[in-house]
Amino acid sequence: MTIALIQKIMTPENIEFMLKGAGYSLVIAFCALIGGSILGLLAAAAKLSRIKIFKVIANIYCEVFRGTPMLLQIMLLYLAGPVITKTFMGFVYTPNPYIIGAIAIAINSGAYETELFRSVIQAVDKGQWEAAHTTGLTYIQTMRYVILPQAFRRVIPPFINEFIVLIKDSSLLSTIGAIELLRSAQILTSNYYNFFVPYTAAAIMYLIVTMTISNIARGVERRLAESD
Amino acid sequence: MIKMDKVCKSFAAGRIKAVQDADFEVSKGEVICVIGPSGSGKSTLIRCINGLETPDSGEVFIDGQKLDFGNLKKQIPLIMRMGFVFQHFNLFPHMTVLDNLTLGPIQAQKKDPEAAKKIARDLLKRVGLEDKLDSYPAQLSGGQKQRVAIARALAQEPEVLLFDEPTSALDPEMIGEVLEVMLELAKSGMTLVVVTHEMGFAREVATRVVFMDQGKILEIGTPQEIFDHPKSERLQDFLSKVIRA
Repeated sequence: MTIALIQKIMTPENIEFMLKGAGYSLVIAFCALIGGSILGLLAAAAKLSRIKIFKVIANIYCEVFRGTPMLLQIMLLYLAGPVITKTFMGFVYTPNPYIIGAIAIAINSGAYETELFRSVIQAVDKGQWEAAHTTGLTYIQTMRYVILPQAFRRVIPPFINEFIVLIKDSSLLSTIGAIELLRSAQILTSNYYNFFVPYTAAAIMYLIVTMTISNIARGVERRLAESD
Repeated sequence: MIKMDKVCKSFAAGRIKAVQDADFEVSKGEVICVIGPSGSGKSTLIRCINGLETPDSGEVFIDGQKLDFGNLKKQIPLIMRMGFVFQHFNLFPHMTVLDNLTLGPIQAQKKDPEAAKKIARDLLKRVGLEDKLDSYPAQLSGGQKQRVAIARALAQEPEVLLFDEPTSALDPEMIGEVLEVMLELAKSGMTLVVVTHEMGFAREVATRVVFMDQGKILEIGTPQEIFDHPKSERLQDFLSKVIRA
């Protein structure tokens, strides 16, 4: 009976529908990762700088976005965005759930990536700063040529891990109508009045993607360890 | 060419007085060795000279120009007149030996990359490592790393080299090769300030020896004065412990 049910629900068209959803999940997560790393790098630099106002802004950013649920942030940005533009700029727009969703996840991820970047930058030996000082490098030059290249190697494994987290987090966009993997499964459940098959299929697809990426991460980690 | 005037530096909110009222001068061509027990403030003293530490009070002059510790960014040209060699080498591990030597000259001094590379090659030849151009620091022995570090300090064409215990982190059999390079530098007329535990080197090479204890400079004199006729009891005691007949 189960097999018949699977055959009935998982038609080639429906599988394609879910794969397309999985593709959206991947693209959203990837864009959020890149956007988040730009924000994270900037905020980490602000946190490490000697200028107080930068530090304060970066701290507020991290506290706010790590201290509130990501789902709430997504809803606020998606639903409140048009209201804000209407109130302050006098126009309404129809937010695209994919773009707004990716931006919301990027902002949230950036807050976590800030701590990631800050910790790997601070983990670089103090002697490297001193050597750069004696060779006459400025702060920016030291960061660019000495500190960041060393921090970069250390950040790769946790960074890939963050990608996996974001792929799972992207499922939250199902609540604002982005047809990513979870939402595509949801649509099938209501079409066929069956929860078991579509959700299990979605779980398997998530697992295939995340396990593949974590395997890549392990390989990269091993290669980095060898070259040290 | 280096003048320290009443330099004081303390750590842990003033509880540890690392350097107290250090007055001393280095002239061109001199080889100064700073000796003393561990924790006597030797390293802090030499680190104050080029701004690795900011003194709590007192002044440092390089060629008559006052080093402004409040604005080290503007002091880069002054700081680059002094090469610094660390106890733990502090080579840049992600760069080849050649890139270690050319980074400062190209980025900070805006030298032509080809000219900087040529200088770097000549310097590596001088320290006997011309075949290690493309090696990474991790592939070198301790002695080789320190020789690269000396070449890196020389690459910025400094007027004086500061050494902070350059042989203390080395295996005994590698100390010789580093001291040999330093000896050659001294002979070539380079001004050197060396914090060291190598009493033999201090005795043979130094023009003057500085003895420090508990943050204070207790004696300054020629190697003969310091090693053969120590005045203070503390120095006599120190020498009797470090020099075994």
